[in-house]
Formats: sequence, C-alpha cells, structure tokens
Amino acid sequence: MATLEVKDLHVSIKEEKETREILKGVNLTMNTGEIHAIMGPNGTGKSTLSQTIMGNGAYHVTQGDVLLNGESILGMPVDERARKGLFLAMQYPAEIQGVTNAEFLRAAINARRPEDDQISVMAFLKELDKNLSLLDMSEQMTERYLNEGFSGGEKKRNEILQLLMIKPSFALLDEIDSGLDIDALQVVSKGVNSLRGDNFGSLIITHYQRLLNYIVPDVVHVMMDGRIVKSGDADLAKKLEKEGYAGLRDELGLKVSLVDDNR
Amino acid sequence: MISAVQDYEAIKTAVETAANEHGEPHWFVERRLAAIDAMQDLALPEMKRYDFHRWPLMDNMELNFRRSDKSLADGLPKAKNQIRFVQVGQTTVAVDLPDELADQGVILTDIFSAFREHPRLTEKYFMEKVTNYKENKLTAYQQAFLNAGVFLYVPKGVEIKRPIEAYLIQDSTVKQPMVSHVLIIAEENSQFSFIQHLNTKGDEANAAHCMVEVLSRANSHVHFSSVDELGEHTYSFLHRRANLSRNARFDWAIGIVNDQNTLGDITSELIGEGAHSESKVIAVTTGKQSNGINNRVVNRGKHTTANISQRGVLLEKSELIFNGIGNIIHGASGANAEQENRVLMMSDHAHGDANPILLIDEDDVIAGHAASVGQVDQNQLYYLMSRGIDKELAQRLVIRGFLGPVLEEIPLPEVRQEMIDVIERKLEDGQHFN
Repeated sequence: MATLEVKDLHVSIKEEKETREILKGVNLTMNTGEIHAIMGPNGTGKSTLSQTIMGNGAYHVTQGDVLLNGESILGMPVDERARKGLFLAMQYPAEIQGVTNAEFLRAAINARRPEDDQISVMAFLKELDKNLSLLDMSEQMTERYLNEGFSGGEKKRNEILQLLMIKPSFALLDEIDSGLDIDALQVVSKGVNSLRGDNFGSLIITHYQRLLNYIVPDVVHVMMDGRIVKSGDADLAKKLEKEGYAGLRDELGLKVSLVDDNR
Repeated sequence: MISAVQDYEAIKTAVETAANEHGEPHWFVERRLAAIDAMQDLALPEMKRYDFHRWPLMDNMELNFRRSDKSLADGLPKAKNQIRFVQVGQTTVAVDLPDELADQGVILTDIFSAFREHPRLTEKYFMEKVTNYKENKLTAYQQAFLNAGVFLYVPKGVEIKRPIEAYLIQDSTVKQPMVSHVLIIAEENSQFSFIQHLNTKGDEANAAHCMVEVLSRANSHVHFSSVDELGEHTYSFLHRRANLSRNARFDWAIGIVNDQNTLGDITSELIGEGAHSESKVIAVTTGKQSNGINNRVVNRGKHTTANISQRGVLLEKSELIFNGIGNIIHGASGANAEQENRVLMMSDHAHGDANPILLIDEDDVIAGHAASVGQVDQNQLYYLMSRGIDKELAQRLVIRGFLGPVLEEIPLPEVRQEMIDVIERKLEDGQHFN
C-alpha cells in the first residue's frame, strides 16, 4: 500500500506586484485503494493543490509538507515525483508537434524501467491496443503528434490513455470532466474505474457532482478559500449538488466570498 | 585567407596542368583560369551582422585529383528501387538510375563526366544562368578549384516518383578541400524531389565548398532537401540557389547540423510570373561553433510567392545568426513574401539572432515577418516531465517539436528519421556539456 500525505500545506504564487497565498493549510491523507474527490467553487485552490503535489515551479510552498510513503517529495523535480508514482491528468495538456503520441508513451514507460530492460515493441503495442479499445480511441490517434490539434475531448481521453499506460500509484485528475459530453464522460470514467484496486489511488478534482456518479468516491472533501472545510462520504457530494456551496458555507459559518473569480 | 602576394600566375599554370591531365574540356579549363584571374579583385560575399573573414576557407589553392577509398562509403542505407548517386571525395562510387528513367532522357552523372558527355547542357548552364563566378571571391574559387559534384537533368514532362538521393562524402583522410557542385536542370513540367546528404570521413582539417544550382523551368515542380552533417574539422560554405521560371514551384528543406563553422547562403530567385518557393531551414549549433545563414528570396515576377521559415537551436557557447532576406523587385506586383525566423536558446552562453531584412520596391505586395529569440517552452517541458521523462530527454522532445515544421517537409520517412537522429545526437552531445 502506498500513502500520499499533505500536511498543513501553504502555497503562494507570485503575481505581477505581490505574492498571493492560495493554499492556507491543507491537510489530507490518502492511501492506494481509495478514491478521493475534491470539490469546491472556483478559485479555492483545487488546481493549485494538484499542481503543487506534482511540482509545478509556478507554485511556492511556504509552509507544510507533502509526503509520499513517508518521504518528503518537495525537494524532488517533477520527473522524479512522476517516477515515484504520481500522475497528474492536466486540465490544459500541452501540445507538442513532431513527437508522436506512441513515441511519447513509450518514452514515459521506459523512463520507469532500467536502461537494459526497456519495453519491447510487441509488449508495448499489445498494451496500447488494449487501452485504446477500452477508451474507444482509434489507433490513428497514437500516430498523431502529442495533443496537437486534438479537440478538448480527445485531449482528455489522451490523458486517461497515458494514465492507463503508465499505471501510477496515485492519479491526480484535474477537472477531467470539463468540456466532455456525456458519452466521453462515461468513457473516461470507465478508464479510471478499470484501474481501481489495491495498488491505485486517485484524487479527483471537480466542480460538479456528475462525474462522481460514474467514479464513485470513497471520500469527498470540500475546499473553500485554500482549506479543506469538510470531508465526508459520497453523499456529501450529492448534498452539495442540491444545496450549493453557499449552503455549506453558511452551515459552517465561514466568511468566504464565493464570487467566481476564474482562478 | 589568401595573402596579398599570392603568385596567381603560378597557380594558374598548376591548375591548367592538373585540369588538362584530368581530361577536362577546353572550355572548362578556360573558365577555371578566368575565375582565378577574377578572384584577385573580388571581395568576399556580404553577410549582414556576421563576420567570417578569418575562416580558413581558401587556404588551399591547388587542384589535385586522387582516388578515394570506396570503403569510406560503406554502411550507407540501400533501399530497393533507390535512385542514388554516391561520391567519396572525387571518386564516384555508385550511380543507381533505373533504366526507364534513363530511357526518358534523365541524366544522373558526376559533374566532370557531364562536362565531357553533355557539353551542350553544361557549358551553357554551369555557373552561367543561376550563379556566376563573378559574384564574389568564393564563387570564383568554386569555379577555379572545382573537384567534385553531380549533374542531374530531368527532361520535359518527366515525373519521378521516388526521391533522388545524392550522398556527397568529404574525404578528409587526406589534406584536400571539398569543392563540390550540384547542378540540376528541371525542364518544363518536370516533377521530382532531390535529397542531398553531406558527410565527412576522416580527421584532416579541410574546407568544404558545396554549391547547388537549380534551374526550375516553367511549371516544373522540384523539392530539394539536404541533411548537412559535415565534420568537426570542416569549415564550410554552403551556397545554394534556385531560379524559378513561370509557375514553377521549388522548395528547400535544409537541415544544417554540421560540427564546425558554416556559412550558409540559400536563395530562391522567382523570375517567372506565378512562381512559388518555400524556403525552410533548420540549424543546430553546439560547442564553440558559429553558423551564419542567409536565406534570401527574390520576387521578380508578378504574382510570385516566396516564404521563408527558419528555426535554430543553440547549445553551449555556439553562435547562430539567421538573416531572412525578402527582396521584392519593382514591377513584381501581386507578390507575396512572408518570413518567420526563430531561434531557441538552450544555454546562457550561446549567441543567437534572427534578423528579418525586407527590401521592397513595389507597392502592390503582401509581405510580413515574424522573428523570435526564446527559451524552451516551460509548459511543454513540465508536461513531459510530469510523465516521468527526465529533463534532458524532455528538452530534446520539445526541440524536435520546435523543428517539426521543417522535418515534416522531408519527403522520405527514413531520411526524416536520419535527420532526427543526427539532431538528437548533436543535442545530446551539447547537453552533456551545458
């Protein structure tokens, strides 16, 4: 079993004139075998949390720690964190011309293997075919350049394809449902669910409860203003859908502005 | 460089003797001698914002012919149905031209055989229509000391499906400059692509002068690509020019991945109405090498289109200057000339520049330019690294993406892969020292 712990995490970003604190003390512990969902209004730091765990240089940890299996990962570069078992399905995946999807996937798999034990072409293609068919993707997608000219839905599917090929211990899914129609949402959910098991954990970031009908979480956390303000089981998400974030805020007596500031 | 007191008469006598012993036709020997005369007064070509005056490009003023060891060409890829020309030093190793093309009048042969066997074509076109020895000291040197090369003639209406490949291998196991010439004549309505591979074998310090001149007749359609991979002891001058007649289409896709200083000069002259040229160049520089590249398009005819796209990557302490020169001549109404010059700096110690130079003497035209000197895209790098790919490989993949628009243009997948491999190797070497 692997464990991911976030302890009293404070994170700032530098803006033009000043430094702004986004995370103000986040605590979270998850194990493989569990699916956690983080919900919350715009601008409360959900994406910041996932980017900070992954190691995006734009986010500065000012206090607290992130531990993977008891070891602090904050000093590690992004690629090392990934090889240790973390994966972030991004909201806005980069496009890279000249590098085919297949080539990229092989490089990512081989990065986890010793130089004298790289994956064979046959084994790679077999695994690729299996996952393509699970995600209803055409073989042609793998010969296209990485995310280049992909539609929003294709990009999301491609993130999940990578997830299936790489098989990390923990997958952070940042708004994987945004911009997906209902069919694509089902396909993406099927992909994530196929990994469920003792060796896989996921932290799902979403605005909407809808995704959680397909990927049923074990734990739901609600974030507001840089903190987790409430945790519960899957029913919490349903309650939120009914009452909105404002209802919860008032119930908890929080003084938090919920104006959508698009951050 | 040439000292002021070179004994030109002695040089002429020696060149004349060597050329006659080589069995060259009288007209060509005369041209060599005229070029030596002209050299004395001509200046080096002008290259804006770039200094190459101290390079050892013309230290050797001798003409020698010797056999090279054919085994230096061993290991070249050989595909079925390949149309190819292989030359090591001055020695032609292979000419593979299918009979049906020869029957249609296609000529593929070494340049000196062409002088003897096809004087009607070569005397008229060799450095007469497209380039000229009187342009500058280096073009005169080319004509005076020419010692290698290839001639391709494609008659009217002939379409060649498979690209024609020329492997021109510099023999630097001996002390001797490579002065090589590719002369291509594309007659009306002909259609083909040509791929040049430049390599060096051996460790002697030698200059390489590689000229390409292409005459693209009306309605012809020609694609020229080159993988330039000259060695670390080779200072080179790569001079390439195409003249386009009415409605001709001619494209360059050139990868300059040499290991020593390179002066590149690429020109498309759009003479006939409606001619169109896409001129794409990529360059990668490492170590302390310096590359200066002029990419010039000249719109002379009405409704001509000429676009430049250049992309360069700099590592270590190298220097790379791209000049994109768009020249629209008075009377070329309806001309269109766009250019894009971009360089990517992978090191704080490198020096790169991308200069768009527009010289426009006509009102009714569309012209534009974009230039940038930048760093590797951090978002792309982060994305690749977040999948566990280490920083160096991630950088190389991002660079490949940056060079993609030119790599795309290379017509044979295996040659495209060769270019990618050469670039990867060079990037890896450069990264280890950064």
